[in-house]
Amino acid sequence: MVWKSFRPLLLCTLVVGVGLLADVRAMAAPETARATIVRAILTSDDAQKHTIINSLIGQGDEAIREIFTAWRQDNLYIYTAPNGAKIPVELTGDKDADGTQAAVRVDSGEPLKDASGQPLRLVAKQLTAVEHDASLRRVMKNVVDLLDLGSPLPAKRLRAVQTIGFAQKADKLPVLEARTGIETDTEIKKELREAIALIHLADPDDGVKIKALVVLQELHNSSSYDLINALRAKAEKDNKPAVTAAAHSALLAIDHHRSVVKFFGTLFRGLSAGSVLLVVALGLAITFGLMGVINMAHGEMITVGAYATYITQNVFGAGMNFTLPFIKIAIHLPGLHLTGWAYQLYFLVAIPIGFLSAALVGIALERSVIRFLYRRPLESLLATFGVSLILQQMFKLTFGSNNVNVDSPVYLSSNWTVFDVTFDWNRVFVIGFAVVIVFGVWLALTKTPLGLLIRCVMQNRMMASCMGVRTERVNMLTFGLGSGLAGLAGVFVTQLGTVGPSMGQEYIVDSFMTVVVGGVGSIFGTVVSALGIGLTDQSLQQILLNPVLGKILVLLAIILFLQWRPTGLFSARSRSLD
Amino acid sequence: MSLPATDRPYFRSRHLEFIVVGVLLLLLTVIFPLLNAHGLLSDFTITLWGKYLCYALLAISVDLLWGYTGLLSLGQALFFSLGGYMFGMYLMLQIGMLGSYAKSGQNPNGLPDFMVFLGHTFLPPFWRPFQSFGFSVLMVFVIPGLLALAFGFLAFRSRIKGVYFSILTQALTYGAALMFFRNDFTMGGNNGFTDFKLILGHSLVDNDTGPATMRGLFIASALVLLTVCLFCHWLNGTKFGLVRQAIRDGENRVLFSGYATANFKLFVFVVAAFIAAVGGALFVPQAGIINPDQMTPDKSIEAVVWVAVGGRGTLIGPIIGAISINALRSWATQAYPDSWLIILGLIFLLVVLFLPGGMVSLPGKIKALRKSQGKPVEPAVARA
Amino acid sequence: MSHPILTVEDVSKTYDGFKAISDLNFYLFEGELRTVIGPNGAGKSTFFDLITGRAKPDKGKIEFGFEPDSHDLTDLNEYEINRLGIGRKFQTPSVYVEHTVWDNLVLSLKGPRGVFASLFKRQSSTDRDRIADLLKLIRLDGKRDWKAGLLAHGEKQWLEIGMLLAQDSKVLLVDEPAAGMSDEETHRTGDLLISLAGKHSIIVIEHDMTFVKQIARDNPVTVLHQGHVLCEGKFEEVQSDPKVREVYLGRGKHGTR
Repeated sequence: MVWKSFRPLLLCTLVVGVGLLADVRAMAAPETARATIVRAILTSDDAQKHTIINSLIGQGDEAIREIFTAWRQDNLYIYTAPNGAKIPVELTGDKDADGTQAAVRVDSGEPLKDASGQPLRLVAKQLTAVEHDASLRRVMKNVVDLLDLGSPLPAKRLRAVQTIGFAQKADKLPVLEARTGIETDTEIKKELREAIALIHLADPDDGVKIKALVVLQELHNSSSYDLINALRAKAEKDNKPAVTAAAHSALLAIDHHRSVVKFFGTLFRGLSAGSVLLVVALGLAITFGLMGVINMAHGEMITVGAYATYITQNVFGAGMNFTLPFIKIAIHLPGLHLTGWAYQLYFLVAIPIGFLSAALVGIALERSVIRFLYRRPLESLLATFGVSLILQQMFKLTFGSNNVNVDSPVYLSSNWTVFDVTFDWNRVFVIGFAVVIVFGVWLALTKTPLGLLIRCVMQNRMMASCMGVRTERVNMLTFGLGSGLAGLAGVFVTQLGTVGPSMGQEYIVDSFMTVVVGGVGSIFGTVVSALGIGLTDQSLQQILLNPVLGKILVLLAIILFLQWRPTGLFSARSRSLD
Repeated sequence: MSLPATDRPYFRSRHLEFIVVGVLLLLLTVIFPLLNAHGLLSDFTITLWGKYLCYALLAISVDLLWGYTGLLSLGQALFFSLGGYMFGMYLMLQIGMLGSYAKSGQNPNGLPDFMVFLGHTFLPPFWRPFQSFGFSVLMVFVIPGLLALAFGFLAFRSRIKGVYFSILTQALTYGAALMFFRNDFTMGGNNGFTDFKLILGHSLVDNDTGPATMRGLFIASALVLLTVCLFCHWLNGTKFGLVRQAIRDGENRVLFSGYATANFKLFVFVVAAFIAAVGGALFVPQAGIINPDQMTPDKSIEAVVWVAVGGRGTLIGPIIGAISINALRSWATQAYPDSWLIILGLIFLLVVLFLPGGMVSLPGKIKALRKSQGKPVEPAVARA
Repeated sequence: MSHPILTVEDVSKTYDGFKAISDLNFYLFEGELRTVIGPNGAGKSTFFDLITGRAKPDKGKIEFGFEPDSHDLTDLNEYEINRLGIGRKFQTPSVYVEHTVWDNLVLSLKGPRGVFASLFKRQSSTDRDRIADLLKLIRLDGKRDWKAGLLAHGEKQWLEIGMLLAQDSKVLLVDEPAAGMSDEETHRTGDLLISLAGKHSIIVIEHDMTFVKQIARDNPVTVLHQGHVLCEGKFEEVQSDPKVREVYLGRGKHGTR
């Protein structure tokens, strides 16, 4: 899973690298942007000045923006060197007592130096100011506006193209077309086509409009929807059926694309919600489904995993202090003071720690309470509810009643967009992790000697113990496994929700429902029902635009589902009377 | 489901138990208000005990299902709150022009304050009939009853039982709480209903007349509790009582005796909803507030624990359990605010592990302990 | 004895791939006392489960009663079937352990089974007389106030037989009534069943061959094997059938006791 999360980063580095290379190439070209500007400044003919400045269009050098800004703000002056050479400079920084300022050469961006190599400080009044008038400012603004089009950063170029397209100004067409000729990035090429088409939409000629609409239909980009819609309304009013029809079909194409994106987005979110539910419920499927124990403190096992993550993070960082309640033992955990990648690794380390700590708490619970309550499921419900109250209060007294902050490691906080569908890395990670865990649990239960023992003890405790199986130990380990899985779930709900003393309660009802719907005792059933419930929940949220109502409907749906299959999707049948 | 001999309740005869409960309640109904009227018992105590009695009703509804029928419902707090909300709607409309928005002239129609806050200008239609006391009381029974009927019908028809029933009722409660937390449900959102002023024209807050109203509510609660006990006692003596207990001990066998167990369970479920709801309706004017926190699954489980602590399957157990745990809470949340939940949790644990018969089985246990002359009694937990 | 009161035709039932009953055909005539024997796993208890609605057959029909008042039992559930007049005694005695012996019989006594009837109908003196008679018959009148759970295994068997009689069903399905009884009690059970035949139609499942011999007499015996009828006939015929001998001998010396 981890290599996948590195990928966007690698990609990014690569792109930036290529961009830099392109920049270097541009500087090696016959004339730099700075040199061009110097030429423009030194030209006295206004028309020629405009032509030279306009020649900068399409270049992405940020220096252009800086120099033009200085120009407009009257900070450019012409310094006449002792040898008579005219050197345009920018005066920057504060004036000192003599009124001198630092001078930076426009042609190089370096400080102006005298013959001995000392930086020169100049007084503005003694220099010739570089003039500008309204028409010159307009020309400069146009260049700056189009500056980003030539930016080495693709994201910047993309945004520039979009902005220009939406402005629908016909005078920008030549620039866009020129850019189309040299642009290499396919994404931006597509955007250029769209921008050109959008500008054509504003063309008075209907034929041009219709051609543009055909292009937009083909691109079916959601962002052009409003402009097309406005055009259609106008065309309808002006009684131009051909344009109306073309606009209509373009809109249809966009609608279609939107619903496809929405569908896959919902599918993805449903899968990830289902995966969270799955990991949370999987532990329960073992303690409840296989062992028949109603562990109301299962939610607190999740909390243990989440706080374990929190502690791990702090140990990787600045360390932490806390006091155990009642016994009043102050605990100081020294921090490793890691930064950068080493610190980011804390999350991977937290995964086994979360599992182990929850498993240990689970084993302690099994030894002290649950082992007395096998075969008394309703009583185990009450006793573990008591445990849940105690644990929640303990968390509160130890870590405070407010939510604590768990950072997202970089490799989980970015996202990835494919065909307009956004895939958040943390969600992708949850899905992948769920697959790994389910596979692991399946392996553990079916392919290991422990799994065999677990299954045989869970089917018939008495018989197993008569056959010499140490049922006590198997019970303990099974319960530890179930609790540890809850701890794992806790590790990653830190990435999706809040971490606080009562966080476990948010998951407990849902996970019980998941196990019941899946069919108690069936791991496979739990998988199917978790994904089913996750997808239904997300779809209902999409349809109703109301998360709470969606949740209530899911609960109702579950109750009705149990009418149809009272024992869940997959369940073991028994032939005994009770 | 049955308890071992040493965990049996103290009262061998259910008639004797009923007489004890009845006499105690009658005494309570008379003595507490008398003491209060003569200034020997504070108004605070009367209101507090009035609330305990309402909790006792909730506990009886749990016991009727769990102790007598073997259905562990985690939805009783929902029915309790629903009853409370229905009666709360009446109380809210009684506030009328006495509310704080009306006083500052921002509420010419006398809407409940939370509606003004949410920008409503007129009363939603379903609120209107709740101006009437009679209608509101009717709804205290109808709404929880209908919900219990619908849910119970579905659950029992598909033979959902045991822990599945518990989990499903828990989900039902959870879903309902989510709904009541929403503002656009126009039931007060997470603040619920509060700031009540009048009930049947009597002030709840007035310094002079308020205590008398509270006394009246206390007496009403005690009498309702007595009536419910009488009903339960009667039910225990009918053939219905036999069938119900048989369902608890072995439902499948009852089917083969020709009883449609689903109908019996449905009847108990609806009756229990009624009892919880009337408890909630009496609770709200005495507590002065009802909000969705009261209907969470946690509250239901807590009520189950009152029953477990008192002694399930008995008449007196839930009453003792509800009163003692809540009295303990009143004290401990003051004395040990940090530890109260831990104390409560420990009580749950210890009762389930070491005293499955609850407090009513204590005398029997002690007797057994004496008889065995110090020989350790086999712990209840060792029983498979 | 022309039309069967209970018709089982082409019935199959599979549990997780295991064929408990396969293409079973079985007819019970009014007033008949039928004994069903068969080795373990022959599907005897499943056969009762299918009749009483505890399990639903995968295919086939089970009909009860005579035209025009006949019922397809596969559409009905347990209590509906019981109310039609089919009573069952389970293999392991199933009594209400927390109820007294008396209350066990009250619960089983023939009469309305509805919620409101059970709330408001008082016990009549005829009801009490009937229960008292039954208690004498099953010899538990001395223990009428005992909790049923405290009875010995054989007494529980008797109590369950008493409960079956209290229901006064047309068809009695009796699963291993003699298990846990002394020889004398077994014999008495046999006599009781014989005396009930004629008024009731009875199917008895039994392993104890002495007992089978006692109650079979001239009545037909059905041998179940692997979920279908291996053979049917008088006890002696069945006993000498080579197929039957093979089935039993292949599994030990059960049948030749």
